[in-house]
Order: sequence, then structure tokens, then C-alpha cells
Amino acid sequence: MSAATHETEHHTSLGVDNRKLLMWIFLASECLFFGSLLSTYLIFKGESLSGPGTDIFAFEITSISTFVLLMSSLSMVLAVYGAQHGQLGLMKLMLLCTILLGLVFLGFQVYEFKTFASEGLTLSTNQFGASFYILTGFHGCHVGVGVLYLSSLLISSVRRNGIGKETPLYIDIGGLYWHFVDIVWIVLFTVVYLIPAY
Amino acid sequence: MADMNAVHDAHDEHPTTTIREYLIIGLVLSVITAVELVMSLYEDELGVVLIPGLLIFSAIKFVIVVAMFMHLKFDSIRFTQIFAFGFVLATCLLIAVVVLFAYDATDAIGGGFIGDPIEHH
Amino acid sequence: MATATDGVGTVQAEQSKVWEWLTTVDHKKIGTMYGITGFTYFLISGLTALAIRTQLAVPNGNVLSAELYNQFFTMHALMMIFLAIMPMGASFFNYFIPLQIGARDVAFPRLNALSYWVFLSGSLILFSSFFLGGAPDAGWFAYAPLTDAKYSVGSGLDFYCVGLIILGLSSLMASLNFAVTILNMRAPGMTMMRLPVYMWMTLVVSFLLILSLPIVTVALVMLYFDRNFTTNFFTPETGGDPILWQHLFWLFGHPEVYVLILPSMGIVSEVIPVFSRKPLFGYAAIVFAGASIGVLGFGVWAHHMFTTGLGTVPALVFSATTMGIGVPTGVKIFNWLSTMYGGSIRFTTSMYFAVAFIAMFTIGGISGVMHASPAVDSQHQDTYFVVAHIHYVLFGGAIMGIFSGIFYWWPKMTGRFLSEISGKWSFWVMFAGMNLTFFPMHFLGVSGMPRRIYTYDEGFGWDDWNMVATIGSYLIGVSILIFLINVFRTMRQPATAPDNPWDAPTLEWATSSPPPEHDFDVVPEVHSSMPLWTNREMGIVTPEAPEGLHIHLPPSSYMPLILAIGVGLIGVGLLSHLALVGIGVAISTYGVWGWSIEPTD
Repeated sequence: MSAATHETEHHTSLGVDNRKLLMWIFLASECLFFGSLLSTYLIFKGESLSGPGTDIFAFEITSISTFVLLMSSLSMVLAVYGAQHGQLGLMKLMLLCTILLGLVFLGFQVYEFKTFASEGLTLSTNQFGASFYILTGFHGCHVGVGVLYLSSLLISSVRRNGIGKETPLYIDIGGLYWHFVDIVWIVLFTVVYLIPAY
Repeated sequence: MADMNAVHDAHDEHPTTTIREYLIIGLVLSVITAVELVMSLYEDELGVVLIPGLLIFSAIKFVIVVAMFMHLKFDSIRFTQIFAFGFVLATCLLIAVVVLFAYDATDAIGGGFIGDPIEHH
Repeated sequence: MATATDGVGTVQAEQSKVWEWLTTVDHKKIGTMYGITGFTYFLISGLTALAIRTQLAVPNGNVLSAELYNQFFTMHALMMIFLAIMPMGASFFNYFIPLQIGARDVAFPRLNALSYWVFLSGSLILFSSFFLGGAPDAGWFAYAPLTDAKYSVGSGLDFYCVGLIILGLSSLMASLNFAVTILNMRAPGMTMMRLPVYMWMTLVVSFLLILSLPIVTVALVMLYFDRNFTTNFFTPETGGDPILWQHLFWLFGHPEVYVLILPSMGIVSEVIPVFSRKPLFGYAAIVFAGASIGVLGFGVWAHHMFTTGLGTVPALVFSATTMGIGVPTGVKIFNWLSTMYGGSIRFTTSMYFAVAFIAMFTIGGISGVMHASPAVDSQHQDTYFVVAHIHYVLFGGAIMGIFSGIFYWWPKMTGRFLSEISGKWSFWVMFAGMNLTFFPMHFLGVSGMPRRIYTYDEGFGWDDWNMVATIGSYLIGVSILIFLINVFRTMRQPATAPDNPWDAPTLEWATSSPPPEHDFDVVPEVHSSMPLWTNREMGIVTPEAPEGLHIHLPPSSYMPLILAIGVGLIGVGLLSHLALVGIGVAISTYGVWGWSIEPTD
């Protein structure tokens, strides 16, 4: 055994990178976060003593924003592909695409919240409103953080020196976060919007 | 010596999926979403099939994204185990809490107020 | 020191000691800071407990007002749990994870520093509530609707929400770091089934926190929204559900109980074999018992809620799972007893505390299993019997275990031995004090004394036992004083402790006392779960460190500090003016950016 830590850094007990392992454990933790929010929503689902209920949903808008987020996952995976195959141009372009699609999704969400508020559904209107806003709002926050995260990766990669030899790893980990935000939406879209109140 | 428990270095091997395959996966995901949407419009016709159907479709999308886009299919099994543990735990707790609330405790023995007549349940 | 490694060394040597500690990323220094902070809060929280006991010593006591009493018992619990026991546990985790698994540091040294500084800012926010309009006063589990803005008018509960969210963030980061370190940074040959039991318990605790903290974060955010942004999650008048709070809180709160006790179980699993001069009996059983406690810990939460009217079937299910979780706990107790059986036991202070842990924890565990029966639980709900139970588990269990660890590892951490004579005095006084304090509470509870009442009338038959409990609590105070004197006297002596004074088998004893900054000159190779004993039997000698040793250590960084200040400001802003949140976000953003571009090689 050599004494240098460099060796241990590259040779880990599970044979996986520390940072990637951290991200996966974090995502496991996030499952519980969204699980609790979704439980709250389901417990209160359809409980509206006053004001609008689930019939407020506008499927056209939400379907488009769902599609947008799905496509952002596709562009993200292509960015990872670019990073892993040394096609940095593709990577940067696809990162930019992902960020823009994320912003579009957020724009739709802001529009949706504004519309609902104008139709009389606010945080304090009823349990449905409170739990709906807090659930989808936290998802929106995650998208927002993801946009910042990917933007910082993009900015780092267009600097003169780029991210360096670990570019594929960093893009890969960023992608894991982004895809997770997308699968949360896959679940939310079905459970919140598509399944009718019972 | 070395690590007896070291799994082969999986993280250096990139998934073999091509761009074309990724595009096809994206298309499949979109189609499933469209089918879900159409299903939700035919709520009355589908009846009891609707909710399980929607859940199955969203589960398929979930698995596709996790396996292919997050390439768990090609990565270390540890990642799958860790993520699955969190996800399964979250699902179980969600179901448990929702069931506990759906269960009308005031109708049951042990619920209700002290002194409630027992035949009340 | 770190300065020997590169050209920057000379510059670093000139920097002040304070700056060195503020920017350190060394797991041993961070562990020390966690320990000192945690022990300070332990003392403060102990003082609040003494005030509570003084108030209750005689009927109609008037030492504390009702309002202050409510704040004191709430903050006593919050500080003991989140600011004392958890950080003292984190202190040992930080210090000994790399040493016990044979690594040079944790996986993410800067994240480790960040967890400490965020913990400090969160703890200061929570503690400052005493001076800023009143501390939280709704009990540590803060049941709705008591926490509603209508019934809790001060800002105490806002401090509770914000403080606990920030503390949770800190614990989450620390746990992610520990989990990755233990899973991925083990020395060559250190398979999972060769990990010291303490490391296994640390891993289980880390996963418990990682998986339960998000739940309480959601609950705390909803409570904060209820109080500040007009939502009605927990207010029944407007359709909200107070029971939802209880579910979300205990979904976190019960795993949290295991977070508090499992580290101590790990410590005694290290201490008992060493001082019995015998390998741990049933290593695999104790590991699997710990892991199954971790998993089952997520399935018992509603036993805190039997009196809410869960209904027959849920009550039966949670009763069964609660009894079930007693089984792995019992397995552990028999393992420790069997380890001692037939061993040649050395009665050091550390061993005293470890044996007391087993006895006291068993009492607390048994009164816990009693509450698995909904019928018994309904009788004991909110009486002093419950107070007796949790204190046998948390004082007799967690604190005794931590003291065992302090006496066991002190020579390794400081190079000095704590006085055994003084140590045994503090042990016996503490042991007598804790039993005098908490055992009578069983009787008080059974005779109907409710918990959390700030005074009581004569004539209920509670007077004598309350006086006994108060005398006992002062004895505990005396024992802590004896311990503090012991510490100060010890630290004035020269550091003379050898590498392995207790003849222990785990890797932390293979390096010098206190360990060098790089932990090990040569990363050890592991052949069994008791490497040092095996090496001695097989005649394996650790090779000498090569000449001109160049060990790369991560450079110190002030970015964690800046980021933590940003997070703290966000918290302060949520409690005062939203403009501060903006400043906090700006500082945090700068911290994250500086963090990501600063060189780590």
C-alpha cells in the first residue's frame, strides 16, 4: 500500500465515486420529502370546505408543461451523452436546452398559480389549496434549484479551461438530480392532476 | 489484499445507449403521457380501471427514466438498492398514513370518546 | 501539522489559532468543536432541568412562572435532543469514523465543516429565542393546535420551526457525509462485516436521519406556513387536522429516538469487549439487530398516538410492531451480557458507565414495551411515568453511553487519562442521582401526576417523591461538577498516553494519541473485525512510514463558514424581516460559488 491519499481517492470500497454515491443517497432522502408532501395532499384531497376544488385544474396547460419537463429530461440525457463521449458542443447545447425547458416549465407554473389565485384559490382558501400549493411549489423550487445547478455547470464548462477531466462525472450527477425532479413530476402529474377526486 | 468487497469499477463504463435510442425512449415517454391524458378524459367509461391504469402507466414512465436516463440499469447495484430503499419506504409510509386517515376511527372499538356505548360501533 | 505539506505551509503557520479553527476541514477538529458545543448545551439544558426540579420540589412552588416553566421544559428537551445528545454523538462520529475505518478523513471534509457551522447557527437561532420574546413553549413535539398562532402568541414557535429546519439541514449533510464515508472509504480488507459495531450503528443512525429528517422538515414548513402565511394545515376550525402533525412528527420522532440511543449502543459494544478482554459475543447478531432496529423504527410511530383513537386494527398493528422492536433490543442486551460472562473484567470508569448503560437502558426499555399495550399506554399517557421512561432511556441510556465513550476515548483524543478515582466518584454520584430522580417518577405517574404541570397542590400524595426527585437531580448536577473538575485537572497534565492504553482491538488505537493530522502514517490493512488483536496473534507488524512521507491533505477553507452565515441569515430573516433572507441568499450563493471553484488539491 502506498501512503498517498490519491490512491484511496480513486479506489473506493464500493468501486463507485463518492460524489455520485452522495447524490443517490440524497435522492433517497428526497423520496421521503415528496412522500410526506404527497401524503398531506392526498389526506386533504377533495376536502374543500369552501372555495374551488380539483375541478380548477386546466389540463391543457398542465399537459404542455408536463411535456416540456419530459423533453428537458431527454435533452439532459443527451447532454450527459455528449459529456461521456467527448462531444462537448453537444453537451453545452443540450445543457442550454435543458435550462431553457426548465425555465419554460417554471413559467407555466407561475402562470398556473396566478390563474388559480385569480379564480379564488389561495393558500388560505382551503386545505386543497394549501396542500396543492405547497406540494407543487416545492417541486417548482426543486426545478428552480436544478436550473441554477445546471446553469453553474454550463457556465463552468464554457470558461476557458472548462470543468476539466471530471466533466462527465459532474454532468452525470447534475443529470441525476434533474431526472429525479422529472420523475417526481411524473408521479405528481398522475396522482394530483389525472386521478380524479374521490 | 486490495478490497475484497470492491465491486468492479462500474462508473467508468458509460451506458451503451445511442442518441437514436434516447430519442426513441423520449418518444415512448411522450406517447404514454398522451395515453394517460386521453384516459383521464374518459373517466366514466373506464370506471374502476382508470386509477390502476394511470398508476401503472406512470410507474412504467418512472422505471424507464430511472433505468435508462439515470442509467441505473448500467450502474452499480448499490445505487439501485439505496434509491429503492428510500422510494419503497416513502411509498409504504405514504400508503400507511393515507390508510390511517381513511380509516374512520370513531366507528371502531378503541376510538370514540370514553364512555361511548359499546354497541355504538 | 498541515503546514508541513507544501509551500503555503509557512504562510499558514503564521495565521492565528482562531483562524485555523474557523477554517479547519480536519474531522478531528470539527469533532472537537461538536463535542465542546454539545457539552455546553448539555450544561445549559441541565440547568433548565434543575430549575424545573426546584420548582417542583414542594407543592405550590413559585420559583418559575407558568410561562417560563413551559419554555424551560420545552427548551430542556429540545436542547438535550438536538443541541446536546445529537452533537455529542456527531462529535464521536466525526472523530472516530475515519480512525475506525482506516481513512485519512471523511469523504467530504468541507461539507463536514459546513455541517458544524450550520449546526452552530441553527442552535444559536433556537437558543436566542430565550432573549427574543420567549422560547418555544408547546413541548418538544409541539402538538397542534397548541402551536397555532392563536394559542401560541409569541414568536417562540417560529424559532422552533426555523431552528429545527436549520438543525435538520445540518444533520442531513453530516449524515450523508458519514454514510458515504463508511460505505466507500474503508481501509483495504475492511469489509462491512469487519466494521467495528460502533461504525455499524453510525451507519444505521445516518440512514435513519437521512430518511426521517425530510418528513419533519415538511411538517415544520407547514407549521411555519400555518403561523405566518395563513394556511390551515393543522387548525381544526377551518378543516385542518391536528392529527396530521402528530403523524408527520412521530414519523420522524420515533426514528429520532433510535438516533439518540444507537450511538450509545455502539459505544458500549466497543467498550465492553475491551474491558472484558474478550471478543464481542455474536458480532453478526448485534449488527443485524442494530440494522433491524433501524428498519423497524419506521414502523412504530403511531404508538405515540394510541389515545388519538387510531381504531382497533391500527392500534393492534402498532402494538405488535412496538413489541417486535423489543426483540432486537433484547438480542443486543444478551450479547453484551454474554460478552462479559467469563471475561476477565477490568472495572474502569468507562466500563462502569457501560454496565450501568445496560442496566438502566433495560429498565427504560421494559417500561417502553409496557407502552406497546394500548390499554396501558392510555393509562400512562401524559403522566410522569412517560417522563420516567424517556429519562431511563435517554439519561440512563444515551448519556451513560456517551460518558462511557468520553472516558474510553479521552486518552486517544487528548493524550491524557481522565482521573479514574474522580471518574468513579462522578459515576456513583450520577448513578445514585439519576435513579433517585427518575425512579420515583414511575410512582408519581402511576398515582396520576400529569407531566408538564408547573405546580401541584398538597394532598395528592406526590409531595415526598417530588422532593426525592429534586434531591436526585441536584446529585446529578454534583456529578457533572466532579466530571468538569476532572476534565480541567486532566488537561493541565502532560500528554503521556500510549497509542493503545486499553489494549483495544480497533484501528483508532493503531495510531498515536492524539492522532496526527493525517491520522495514519501508513493506511492499515485489515484481516478481521478485531484488527489489532489479530495482528498481534499473527505477528503482523505495521510497516514503518517511508522516509520523506508526503501526505496530501485537503486545504482549509472559509467557504463553509460563509455559507453557514448565509444560511443562518436566511433563518434570521424568516424570523424578522424578509430583506435579510435576500442578503442571506446572496451570501450563500457567493459561498456555493466560491466553494465550487476553489481548488481542493
